[in-house]
Amino acid sequence: MNRVISTLLLQRLVQAGLVAWVVGTLTFILTRALPGDMAFRIAAGRYGYEQVNAEAAAAVQAELGLDQSPLIAYFHWLSDLLSLDLGHSLVSGESVVSELAHQLGHSLDLALMAMLLALVIGVPVGILSGLRPNGWVDRLALVSAVALRSLPPFVIGLLLIMLFAVQLGWLPAAGHGGGSHLWLPAMALALGLAAVSARVTRHGMARVAGSPYYAFSRTRGLSEGQTLARHGLRNVAVPVIAYLSVQLVYLVEGVVVIESLFAWPGIGHALVHAVVARDVPMIQGTALVMGLLFVTLNTLVDLVSLYIDPRRRLS
Amino acid sequence: MKAIMEVHDLSVTTSEGATLVWPISFTLEAGVPLTLLGETGSGKSLLAQALMGNLPPALNASGRVIIDGENLLEMPPQQRRRWWGRRMTMLPQEPWHALDPTMRVGAQINEGHRLVAGLEPAAARHAMYDDLEGLGLADSEFKLPAQLSGGMAQRAAFAAARAGNAPIVIADEPTKGLDSARRDDVVRLLAQALGSNGGLLTITHDIAVAEQLGGTVMIMRRGECLESGSAETLLKAPQSAYGQQLMAANPQHWLARHQHFNPADDTVLQARSVSLSRGGKSLFDNLTLNLYRGEVLGINGASGSGKSSLGDLLLGLVKPDAGKVERAPGIASTRFLKLYQDPPAAFSPFWSLGTLLHDLCRLHKLSWDSVPPLMERLGLAPDLLERRSDSISGGELQRFSILRALLLEPVFLFADEPTSRLDPITQQQTLELLVELARERHCALLLVSHDKALIDHACDRQLSLEAPIRG
Repeated sequence: MNRVISTLLLQRLVQAGLVAWVVGTLTFILTRALPGDMAFRIAAGRYGYEQVNAEAAAAVQAELGLDQSPLIAYFHWLSDLLSLDLGHSLVSGESVVSELAHQLGHSLDLALMAMLLALVIGVPVGILSGLRPNGWVDRLALVSAVALRSLPPFVIGLLLIMLFAVQLGWLPAAGHGGGSHLWLPAMALALGLAAVSARVTRHGMARVAGSPYYAFSRTRGLSEGQTLARHGLRNVAVPVIAYLSVQLVYLVEGVVVIESLFAWPGIGHALVHAVVARDVPMIQGTALVMGLLFVTLNTLVDLVSLYIDPRRRLS
Repeated sequence: MKAIMEVHDLSVTTSEGATLVWPISFTLEAGVPLTLLGETGSGKSLLAQALMGNLPPALNASGRVIIDGENLLEMPPQQRRRWWGRRMTMLPQEPWHALDPTMRVGAQINEGHRLVAGLEPAAARHAMYDDLEGLGLADSEFKLPAQLSGGMAQRAAFAAARAGNAPIVIADEPTKGLDSARRDDVVRLLAQALGSNGGLLTITHDIAVAEQLGGTVMIMRRGECLESGSAETLLKAPQSAYGQQLMAANPQHWLARHQHFNPADDTVLQARSVSLSRGGKSLFDNLTLNLYRGEVLGINGASGSGKSSLGDLLLGLVKPDAGKVERAPGIASTRFLKLYQDPPAAFSPFWSLGTLLHDLCRLHKLSWDSVPPLMERLGLAPDLLERRSDSISGGELQRFSILRALLLEPVFLFADEPTSRLDPITQQQTLELLVELARERHCALLLVSHDKALIDHACDRQLSLEAPIRG
């Protein structure tokens, strides 16, 4: 048992290192490959577009050493990364780590809330559909799932804003403040996730409900509720939890879009701003954190799978 | 004698009106086991489900099933549901699949005592320990079903099914896939459970189970009861033609083969001083073996003795710890094949058999011309090609497996318990066809079975593996 967990954690740690290196290197190459003059963009980010002239750009170039060879810049960045120094934002001058620490919390709030909502919506719908396959709940759920999953998160977000903020006026349209600001962006992400979770749950439930062990539990005298609670839910949870790790791609990607749409001050929002301002250390930092977030959430999913499925703990 | 369950004209029909089980009547008496014997697919399992009241929604049961003056079939489903586990219980086929794969064995027995029998937590735990102890599962409390052998899983399922102390036990093919020693254990358990006040209805295709249980035996075919009587007289001298055929097909009554095979020097496969161990125990050591074309070699032994591993090793699916297996040179690797024990697991249920065979022919560039004559030889009607594997009988499907293997003109065929899931008559027919076709085509056949009588009958040579000491 402990060996299974320590092997898993070790694997994930190695993976995290690889992700950090690959994501960092790719963002480095991509930012260098972007069209337009880097120094001009950074100066614009600092002083505003109207104030930028060749002198300001030259000053930025000299200050940041932008004229040095890319290879040297890359190794500088790599050695800084190894000493856990992510540098300073070219725009605000703040250290990247402190900016990220601030934004990461907001992104985690959003991501975890979205995941929670997705499970709260998707799992019960899936169980109801799976207990009566091809019944009306199942068919309605299938149509809704296809519709929700075909829409990109920002369209769902816009529809939610139009309905709940503009028409009904129940929730704020964007921004960050009290708890009420979290609902719409979290829901915009959660609906797409819930659509897939509901289908995975539905198939799991139908398979479990038709299994010989489900029938045996009934004929040896357990009630329908006891059978579902003791032999249904855990077995259904196995594929649902496992599939969550596939869904994480959708989640992390969605965070970037949804944060920008709802002006949510998380790392996704910061990434988009950093790309526009060509703030290379911030781009690298945010992409890095999102990559590591992906690995961390995956590890969590694995640990939960290990917890609920004792078969996986057999070495 | 006290009648514990009376069944009058019970029949099972589909919603379209087709009859699957013809009206059948019998009485289950306290303390006297009743065994339904018949071919696979003869509606025996449907009968068990009709008695329990858990037929699939598309099927209907009619007639009367009387327990304590109440007609089970007219009872509202909710009320009947409360009888399950408490007044009647069903011992499942395939115990491995009947236990929850993600719950520890102890907990699955414990929940029966606590939730069905209604014991206090401490008393339920106590009852669970008694069960485990009594069934030789003392160290299995924290094991998962996948860690149990077939026999152990059947005993655990037995304890779980009986935890609610239901006096009536319906056992549906309780010995399917078990070797003879495990089978005898299960039969002993069933007889114990019966006691003097309980009722036991066993449904099986295994004549030995009926013999050992004694009591009353009914012979069923195609959903119809052909005859019934006491086990002693009926099994010795059945009156119906089918009953006589069934007894004759019992491997115990088969004649041993006396004709000896003279190997021409036509070696297909040679194993040179191979050894294999599993879990620290040696299965066989320094074994040297030659297989010749056209010969039938039997391997006999209890489960866990390494019979199937030896077959897999000869086929090259398992690497020996020491020694090596050499194939005759110049023969395509697709001509060394295996025939599996469980035919449904060896076919995709999503495509018609015709499609599967056409795919096979296309893949190996075979001509379809050889299929129809072979189907005729194997007694497979052409219209079966349009069906899928889950809608034909086990015997037919196993003959399709044989057909599929023979199309590739094998020189070596490893048949792993190929007939253990078939009823005696189908078993005999299938096995005889397999042996005949293999000889005819000069294919070396390696036949693995736990049934000594079957090996004696069918094989030119045999090898017996000692069972390892079981924990």
